[in-house]
Amino acid sequence: MSRYITRLRMRRAYKWNGRPVSKDRKLKRQYYESMSISVEGKTEDVTVSLGQYILIEGDDDDNPFVAQLLKLYTDDSGKKKTAVVQWFVRMCEVPQNKRKLLGRDPHPQEIFFYQDRSCDNEVDGETILGAVQIEYVPVEDPFPKGKSKGILFVKLLWDTKSFRALNPELMQPPQSSKSPPPSSHGTQTRALPTPDLSVMKRAMSGILTRGSMSTGKMSSSEAESLHSASKLSAAKALSAKRRSRAVSGPHVRKKLDLCSPSKNMTRDDVLGEILDEHTEKTLTSKLNTSPTGRISISIRLTRLNLNEEECVSPLSSHSPDKPRLTAYDKDDATRARTPSRRKDALREPALAALAEEEHEYSPVQTAATPCSKRKSAQLESSRIRKQLNLLGNTVDLQSDGEDGDDDDCFVPAKIDLQSSSDEEEEAKIDSEDELIVKKRRGSGTSRSTEKTRVSARTPRKTPSKKTAPATPRTPRHATPSIPSRSAPAKKPGNVLEEARVSCQKLQETTVLLVDELDLLWTRKQNVMYNLFDWPTRRNARLVVLTIANTMDLPERIMINRVASRLGLTRMSFQPYTFKQLQQIITSRLNRVKAFEEDALQLVSRKVAALSGDARRCLDICRRATEICEHSGSQKNSSGLVGMSHVMEALDEMFSSSYIAAIRCASVQEQLFLRAVIAEFRRLGLEEATFQQVFVQHQALCRVEGLQPVNVSEGLTVCQRLGSCRLLLLEGSRLDLFLRIRLNVSQDDVLFALKAD
Amino acid sequence: MSKRRSAALTGAQGVSLAQKLLRERLCHQKLPDQPVGLDSQYKHMLELLRRTAVHGESNSVLIVGPRGSGKTMLLGCVLRELMSLREVQKNVLLVELNGLLQTDDKIALKEITRQLHLENVVGDKVFGSFAENLAFLLEALKKGDKSSSRPVLFVLDEFDLFAHHKNQTLLYNLLDVSQSAQTPVAVVGLTCRLDVLELLEKRVKSRFSHRQIHLFSSLSFSQYVDVVRAQLSLPPDFPDPKFSDEWNHSVTKLCDDKTVEEILRRNFNGSKDFRSLHSLLFLAVSRVSVSHSTLREADLIEACRLISADSKANVLHGLSILELCLIIAMKHLNDTYDGEPFNFQMVHNEFKKFIQRKSHSIHKFEKPVVMKAFEHLLQLELVRPVDSGVCKVQREYQLMRLMLEHGQVMEALQKYPQCPTDVKQWALSAFG
Repeated sequence: MSRYITRLRMRRAYKWNGRPVSKDRKLKRQYYESMSISVEGKTEDVTVSLGQYILIEGDDDDNPFVAQLLKLYTDDSGKKKTAVVQWFVRMCEVPQNKRKLLGRDPHPQEIFFYQDRSCDNEVDGETILGAVQIEYVPVEDPFPKGKSKGILFVKLLWDTKSFRALNPELMQPPQSSKSPPPSSHGTQTRALPTPDLSVMKRAMSGILTRGSMSTGKMSSSEAESLHSASKLSAAKALSAKRRSRAVSGPHVRKKLDLCSPSKNMTRDDVLGEILDEHTEKTLTSKLNTSPTGRISISIRLTRLNLNEEECVSPLSSHSPDKPRLTAYDKDDATRARTPSRRKDALREPALAALAEEEHEYSPVQTAATPCSKRKSAQLESSRIRKQLNLLGNTVDLQSDGEDGDDDDCFVPAKIDLQSSSDEEEEAKIDSEDELIVKKRRGSGTSRSTEKTRVSARTPRKTPSKKTAPATPRTPRHATPSIPSRSAPAKKPGNVLEEARVSCQKLQETTVLLVDELDLLWTRKQNVMYNLFDWPTRRNARLVVLTIANTMDLPERIMINRVASRLGLTRMSFQPYTFKQLQQIITSRLNRVKAFEEDALQLVSRKVAALSGDARRCLDICRRATEICEHSGSQKNSSGLVGMSHVMEALDEMFSSSYIAAIRCASVQEQLFLRAVIAEFRRLGLEEATFQQVFVQHQALCRVEGLQPVNVSEGLTVCQRLGSCRLLLLEGSRLDLFLRIRLNVSQDDVLFALKAD
Repeated sequence: MSKRRSAALTGAQGVSLAQKLLRERLCHQKLPDQPVGLDSQYKHMLELLRRTAVHGESNSVLIVGPRGSGKTMLLGCVLRELMSLREVQKNVLLVELNGLLQTDDKIALKEITRQLHLENVVGDKVFGSFAENLAFLLEALKKGDKSSSRPVLFVLDEFDLFAHHKNQTLLYNLLDVSQSAQTPVAVVGLTCRLDVLELLEKRVKSRFSHRQIHLFSSLSFSQYVDVVRAQLSLPPDFPDPKFSDEWNHSVTKLCDDKTVEEILRRNFNGSKDFRSLHSLLFLAVSRVSVSHSTLREADLIEACRLISADSKANVLHGLSILELCLIIAMKHLNDTYDGEPFNFQMVHNEFKKFIQRKSHSIHKFEKPVVMKAFEHLLQLELVRPVDSGVCKVQREYQLMRLMLEHGQVMEALQKYPQCPTDVKQWALSAFG
């Protein structure tokens, strides 16, 4: 379940100490040595300076993130304070399945040096909580005792794969010669040499690419902790931005020209223009939100034939460069987080667990991405991801995602950037101007459940930065709050506009997920128009993701002005193939051996041949386990769900009930059906009136040696068949002239009657 | 004689007691102890609901069967057994909706809120719209999880009617909750439509678990007779053992009787469901009185006659001779023109021809009188105007159709008290 942060928040004020020590004209940054933080209600100010260890606000108040402060700078305006840090991780941030790698119980105050170059190391300066003391302990030495609780010890290094001994030199900030010794509290006055940031960045981006590639390979199989994931993803966005800068050659420009009307500009120019007075520096700084200001996207994987249309602001273009793509692919990794938890929770006796898991075909993705989608779909997804990430240029988009094995990744899973988010919004309409935005919270807990959402209905409480979530409908911890309508209903257009304005104040991207888009159709299509118009506005910082199960929805129902505002990206989801279905079941089974291999294959093949509906597939499996359970008392040798059980379940679900219904009908009902067919044959039509059929019926009764029925009885029989929908009837007030048609094929009827 | 009197006195009590007991049985006031012939379905259903109630697994299921096949009875029995478990009784919330009552989602939602006792949570806040109501309810349902929430059983009677609600919002949401790991929910739909799944939208259909329990009775006639015997027999704990012995003996004898068997077979051929059987037996049982305190075959014969009587033939018995003549004229017209519609003028002409031929037996009626009789037939809906766009036609020339079968007319004539022979002959003759 999602956790919504409602903690009390102390107001802190941040101030630079002294004058800027250096200035980077190109990046328009001013670097500082230290910063003082004054907390409301406390007299003493805390001062943090370069090289010092600091606490950074995270989701968990008890365990804030730990880092070493490397740089402090501000942009032109002086408003945005940014810090460059070296991260440390706590044991609780290391993925659960990796913790055992440590080989011993961690010391409660132990932290690890975090080495992952793909991780974003810039944070918002205003998330710094204060200083902390860290002591380096050599690997062989025991942890010192009797020290105060506040001191943290670092012994090892965590490189997302393994724990290694930490070289104490690493603990020094890069410019170690000039940086103060760790854990010193005094303010530093020595000036740092100002590196040429652009050069550094370029260099870094190369590193990043490499680094992330390697993580990509590695992390497809492993689950990342949320913490590292968020760092990672932010880094992703950042590195993407950098790379895009690095490669902004004619190629890119050409692409941009396609999308944005402003010609002959470099990418940066375009960005600059779009962001008005925002400089590139602000962009960078914006990218680094505090971990709490995370925005998550969740995509619901419902039907298979979904179209996903995505609207991105016009400046997002398809980036042509390959490296970025791969980098991003890796970054989707985090999805695994929840699943692993789920797995733990659900490790129960085989069948029970199976049944449970199967029946929860909820949007939760399991750790091992169940299925590989087709290549084409992958391309699409990477395009979407690219677009999403490109948005990162204007927008702060933090996405958690699992790093799928590139070839075998389940496409929706990749888009499911926020891993465990079962949360989704579904918009439905019940009257023309009324929007219901539904949110859904599933069972998957995650640390980063703070989500920013826009409710089209009530924009008054659009998310403000760092405050607990978003929409007025957000469920509180206990009872659901009842939305009260204090203001009169507004037209969607106004509501959206209002929400847009208030959202603009935010530094965050909003991802608006609209499920079942086709239900939002109205005669004038105002709702859809506004929905798609919104992201095309300047500074909208909005991604609209819509889902519908109609393949050609834009062509079919959208009028031109709506269709034109639609993004170009459309992902179509084909029905699952049997292999994919098989993988889905296997992943749901969670390595519990409950099914015979053949049985699994039969189910998946059968479903794939009919509809490719994964839900149906799981339902059949569930039913089969039940059948197996019931027959378990008998001789059943293996205890596994076998072919016979699956066949039985399939029969139950797929067999047509019409024939059984006809076989079990009473004599007169069967005679009546016979009479209907006889009359159809006589007329040569597929339709007859009751009067005509009744004559036949009476004749048949005489043939069969039964007492002929009278009209009332005949009509009763006819109506009974009609209520089962074996016959299609007109309204009964027509009496004798009621027209009758068969709802089953004549062959079926004859077959059912003959077998009798 | 005096001895007999005292026996009759207890007999009167016995009769009224027995009638009360049987009435409960036959009028569906009391659920049977065990559903007949539905054992496997019963087990399946019980297991399914128990999973929801005890283990918190969500489920959805449809019970499909023709009218009168025992869907509600089955569910009632299952629920009765389920609720007898203490933990379940405390825990489970039951919401019963009927498609005939909750004709749209808004009403249905209000009803759900009421049955879940959420009105007090709602308090004085006024739900402005369907949207808010739905959002509230969904939140209430969704905040729960498997282990901690109380399971909710939704029973949707006349499930097919819910599928006609706009966008199937209610069904979508209920089934969606049942598909995901939220508050444990069992959605049980009852319907008589075999094609109910085709009514569901694709997105709703996919969320439905596709469990269908079909109730098709495959009773043989001997089982049917056994059921009749069981239904009529008095239980062993009946207060007056002498009376119940006598009664049960008479019932056994009755079921072996040839005529009764004939009647039952006829009924069985008509429909296998117990509802029609119950109405037959109910009529028979209600004829039992103190003066004849056991069920006799005459009672059943009479009940059968009442039940299988043709309603229109009954109406025909109450017509006047003139009206009957008009009906016969129309029948002839139908025969002559092969079912084509006719108007009053044609009927009148036909009738006049008959009067001319047989003037001695029938009075001569003025045209307005005939018209009046015709209109009476129209009121009884024995004739109906052909639906046509033209409504400005003079009344005499408006096209009509006869709503009677050939056989019905003839049968009515046979039974008509003191029908003139001329009229009968006219009806039997090939052409007027």
